[in-house]
Amino acid sequence: MARARPVPDVHVWRLLLTGLVMLACFGGLVFRLWNLQVAQGTEYQRRLAKQSLRSVRLPGIRGRIFDRRGVALADNRPSYCVSLYLEEFRQAGPSQRTVDCVMETLYRLAETMDRPLQLGPQDVRLHLGRRTPLPLVAWRDLDAMAVARFQERSAEFPGAALTVEPVRVYPQGKSACHLLGYVGRADEAKMTGAADDPDEKFHYYLPEMAGKSGVEKRLDGVLRAFEGGKLQIQVDVAGFKFDEVSRREPQPGSDVTLALDARIQRAAEDALAGERGAVVVVDPRNGDVLALASLPGYDPNDFVPSVPAAIWDALRNDPARPLYNRASGGEYAPGSTFKPVTLLAALQAGAVSAETRYSCPGYFQLGSARFRCWQHWGHGSIDLQAAIRYSCNVYLFHAALAAGPEAVQAMARACGFGRETGISLDFERPGLVPDNDWKRRERRDSWRDGDTCNLSIGQGALLATPLQMALYAAALANGGTLWKPRLAARIVSAAGVTNDIPAERAPAGPRWDARHIAAVRAGMRDAVNEPDGSGKRAKLDGIVVAAKTGTAEYGVKGSGRKMTWMIAFAPFEEPRYAVALLVEDGVSGGTTAAPRVKQLLTRTFNEVEGLGLPPVPAPDAAPAVPDAAAPEEEPA
Amino acid sequence: MKKRAQSVWKRLLAQDGLAVLLAAVLLGTGLSFIYSASWRGEETGIVGAWFVRQIWWVALGAALATVLAALDYRVWIRAAWWLYVASLGLLALVLVAGTKVYGAYRWLNVFGVLVQPSEFAKVTLVVLLARVLGGGALDPRSFGTIAVGLLLLAPPFLLILVEPDLGTAAVLVPTAAIMLFAAGAAFRYLAGLALLGAAGVGLALSPLGHFLLSDYQHERILTFLDPSRDPLGAGWNALQSAIAVGSGGFWGKGYLNGSQNVLGFLPRTVAPTDFIFPVIAEETGFIGASALLLVFAFLLARYLRTAWTAGDPAGSLLATGIAGLLFCHVFVNVGMTIGLLPITGLPLPFVSSGGSFMVSTLAGFGLVQSVHVRRMRREV
Repeated sequence: MARARPVPDVHVWRLLLTGLVMLACFGGLVFRLWNLQVAQGTEYQRRLAKQSLRSVRLPGIRGRIFDRRGVALADNRPSYCVSLYLEEFRQAGPSQRTVDCVMETLYRLAETMDRPLQLGPQDVRLHLGRRTPLPLVAWRDLDAMAVARFQERSAEFPGAALTVEPVRVYPQGKSACHLLGYVGRADEAKMTGAADDPDEKFHYYLPEMAGKSGVEKRLDGVLRAFEGGKLQIQVDVAGFKFDEVSRREPQPGSDVTLALDARIQRAAEDALAGERGAVVVVDPRNGDVLALASLPGYDPNDFVPSVPAAIWDALRNDPARPLYNRASGGEYAPGSTFKPVTLLAALQAGAVSAETRYSCPGYFQLGSARFRCWQHWGHGSIDLQAAIRYSCNVYLFHAALAAGPEAVQAMARACGFGRETGISLDFERPGLVPDNDWKRRERRDSWRDGDTCNLSIGQGALLATPLQMALYAAALANGGTLWKPRLAARIVSAAGVTNDIPAERAPAGPRWDARHIAAVRAGMRDAVNEPDGSGKRAKLDGIVVAAKTGTAEYGVKGSGRKMTWMIAFAPFEEPRYAVALLVEDGVSGGTTAAPRVKQLLTRTFNEVEGLGLPPVPAPDAAPAVPDAAAPEEEPA
Repeated sequence: MKKRAQSVWKRLLAQDGLAVLLAAVLLGTGLSFIYSASWRGEETGIVGAWFVRQIWWVALGAALATVLAALDYRVWIRAAWWLYVASLGLLALVLVAGTKVYGAYRWLNVFGVLVQPSEFAKVTLVVLLARVLGGGALDPRSFGTIAVGLLLLAPPFLLILVEPDLGTAAVLVPTAAIMLFAAGAAFRYLAGLALLGAAGVGLALSPLGHFLLSDYQHERILTFLDPSRDPLGAGWNALQSAIAVGSGGFWGKGYLNGSQNVLGFLPRTVAPTDFIFPVIAEETGFIGASALLLVFAFLLARYLRTAWTAGDPAGSLLATGIAGLLFCHVFVNVGMTIGLLPITGLPLPFVSSGGSFMVSTLAGFGLVQSVHVRRMRREV
C-alpha cells in the first residue's frame, strides 16, 4: 500500500543518528553483561553459593575402647529417634503457623506412640529460627514399643522419619570410671573439617560427643572421627532445605585397646570395696597399667549425653569425692613404703652396706628430740634386710643421716617421685619431694636433721600418688627400670590400620647396683613371707609375694587419721604384677592394706593365670582391734 | 462488504513481517520465562497463575495491535487532542480514586481488573507530539517547538510522577526528546534541554531531593549508588539481581534451573515482572541475554525504518516516538537489573508480566505497523 509521494520533512540522518545512539546504548548494556557474567561470573557464583549453600558437619561414629583382651569398656548403641523434616511442614505467612503445624503433628505423634512430648513450641521456634534446613529431632532414645507404633502408622505422618543416632555406653558401669572418663556434647568451635582444609568452617554441626575426662578426653583425637563428614545443602531464601548438593560420609573413629585388664580392674575395685582409696596395678615388664581404680566412683553412663543436675550435685557434694581420681591425682604421704628409696640411696652413697647393723632401742635421740620406732621396745641390732622386714624406723634414721638428705632426695626423684608420670589423665599431680630450697621457700626455715629423719620414713612433707607408687614398686620388682605408664596398647583405625604403642621408659630412672636391690627385695620378701614380717597378711600360698607396708599419719597431730599403704610385686622371682594400694583412714598398712593386696593378687592369679589359690574372704572381716603391727610409725 | 474485508486482509499482510516475527519471538520468550519464574510459586500457592493470566493479556494486546495496524493511524493523529485530554483525565482520576499497591496509586480498578492509565498516557503523548511536531504549523527549528513539546510533556509527566511512578515518568522525557530531535529541533535547544535534565537529576540526588522525590525514590537512588548499604531492604533486589545475572555465566544454568529464581532470592513477586531479565540472564547466560538485546535492537531498527519510510511526517514521528518508548523501557529495565541504573520498577516490553503494559506495548506495535502499511516507497 505504499504511496509514491515525496516526504521531504523526514530527516534521514537524524533517524540514523537516533538508531546509532540506541545501538551504542545497547552496546553498553552488552559490555556490562560481559563484565558481570563472564569477567566476574565466578565471583558472583561464589556469592550465590555463600547465600544459598549451607554445610553441615556430620559426626562420625566414635571409636570403641577395649581392655587388653577385647572386653568392651566404652561402646556405642543405637538410639532410635523420630525426626521431622521442617520443609514439609512449611506454612505460608507468619512463622508461628509453621510452628503450630509442627506442634500439631508432634501432639498426634505423641498420641500414636503413647510417649510424652520431648519438645515444646519454644524448642520448635528456636529450631526454625536457627537450624531451619536441618531435621528437628523430636524424640530421642525411643523404646522398641514406641518405634513399632510409629512404624505401623508412619504413612500418616509425612515429613516424619525414624532416624538412628549412636549413643555412648559404658558396659562395665562404674568399673574404671576414672580411667575411662566420659563423653559430653562437643564444643562446636573445636570441631574440625577435612584434614586437607583446616580452615573449613561449617554452618551447622550435628550433636557430637567429645571426651570430657579420662581416656575419652586423652585420646579424643583418636576416638573421634579423624575427618568429619560434610553435607552440603541448598537452602531457599527463607532458609528451608531445598536440595542436598553433596555428601561426604564421615570416617568412623579408631578403636583403642587399653593395656588394662578388666578382670584385674574388677578385682582391684572389689579389694577396695566400701573404702576410700586407690589401687594401681602395673606390669613391671613393660609399664602396662593393668588396673587403675579410685574409690568411690561414679557411673559414666549417667554423664551421656549430659549429666542430670541432681546426679551432678550429689556427686559434687559427696564428702567422699567420687569424681576425684585418687590414683593419679591424689597426693599422699607414702610412709614406710618409701623406706626402700632411703636404703637404696644410702647403699648407693656408700653410707651403709647390706651388712651394716644398727641397734634399735625403740627410739632415736636427735639432740633434744626423740624419734620413736613403732616398736616401742626396739628391734635390737638388725641389718638392712631385717630393717625392711620389720620396717624399723631407727635403722632408717641412721642410714639417712649417714647418706645425707641430698642422696635420699635424688634417689626419690630417680624413682619418679615429685614429677608427673606422663599418664596424661586429668588433674594428675606430681607429688612433692621436699628439699632445702623447698623448705626455705615454703617454711622459711633451713633443712634440719629432723627433716631428714622424717623423709627417710616417708613422712613429713613428702607426697606421692598411688600411680607413682605402683611404678616405683614395678621398678623394685624389675630391678631398676622405671616405666612411663602405658594406658593404650593399640589403636586400630576404621580402615584397619593397626598402631601398636611401644612401652616407654621414664626419662630419668634409677641406677641400682644389683647387690643393693637384691638386699632390698629380699627384705620385702621377708616382710610378707616371714611370720614376723610387717606385711605378713599379704602372704599367698604357692606364690611368693614381696611387699612393703606403709602407714602415714596426716591431718592434725594426734588425730589418729592415717593413710594406709602397701606396695607389692609378685611372683618374687619373675614379677608380673606390681601393685600400689592405698586406703584412706585405714588402721595400718599391715592390717588394712595387706589383706586387700592379698585378695587382689589371689583373684588376679586365679582369674588371669588360672591358678587355684584358695579364695580370700573380703577384707571387711579385718579385726576391729588394732594388732601389734599398728601403729607402725610414730614420728616424734 | 466483502471488498472491504479483503482490503483489511491485504493491509494486515503488508505489515513489517520481520517486525512481527521479532515481536513474536519476544512474546514467546516472555511467556517461557514468566513460567520459569512462577511455576515454583504456584506449587506452594504463593504466586497465582501468572502464566495463564499473561496468555490472556498477550491475546488481548495482539488483537488490539491487529486492529490498530488495520486502521489508519491518521484517525488517531486527528483525535490526538481528545485522546490526550482523556488520558490526563484518567491520570487525575487515579490520584482521586486509584487503587493503592505497594504504596503507590498507579492503578484503576475496572471491574476487578487493575489497569494503569499511565500506560495509556504514554502512547497518547506520543500521538499528540507526532501531530503537533509533524503538522507543519511550527518551524521545527524554532524555540517554540521546544516550548510546545515541553508544555505538552509536563502535565502527564507530573501527574505520573506524583502517583508516584518515577520510572514511567522518566521514560517520557527522553522519548519526547527523541521525537523533538527527529522532528528537526535545533541542537542548541536540545543541548540546553539535556543540561536542564542533568541539573534536575543532580538536584534529585542532593539532599534537596528530599523535597522533590518521595523518601523511597530518594532511597532507591542512593541504594543504586551503593547497593550494599542496605542489603536486606531497598538494596536487596539490586543485589540479588546482580548475583542472578552474574552467576549465569557465559552459557547459563539452563531453563528452569536458575537457582536465584528457584530458591526465591529473586523475590517471587517481582521475578516475572520487573526482574524477568535476570531470570533470563541467569538461565541462559551471556549468550541468551545478549541475544535478547539483539532481538530488541533489530526490532528498534525495524521501527526506525518504518519511521523513515512513513507516508507523512506525523506517521514518521509516531513510529519514532514508539521506538523511543521501547528503547527507553528496554534500556532502563535492563540497566537497572545489571546495576547500571537505579531500581525504578519499569518492566521489560513484550517480555515482562503485566496487563496494561503489555497492551500498551502491543498497541504501540500496532500503530507502528499501521504507519508501515501506509508507507511510501523510497530508494534505499
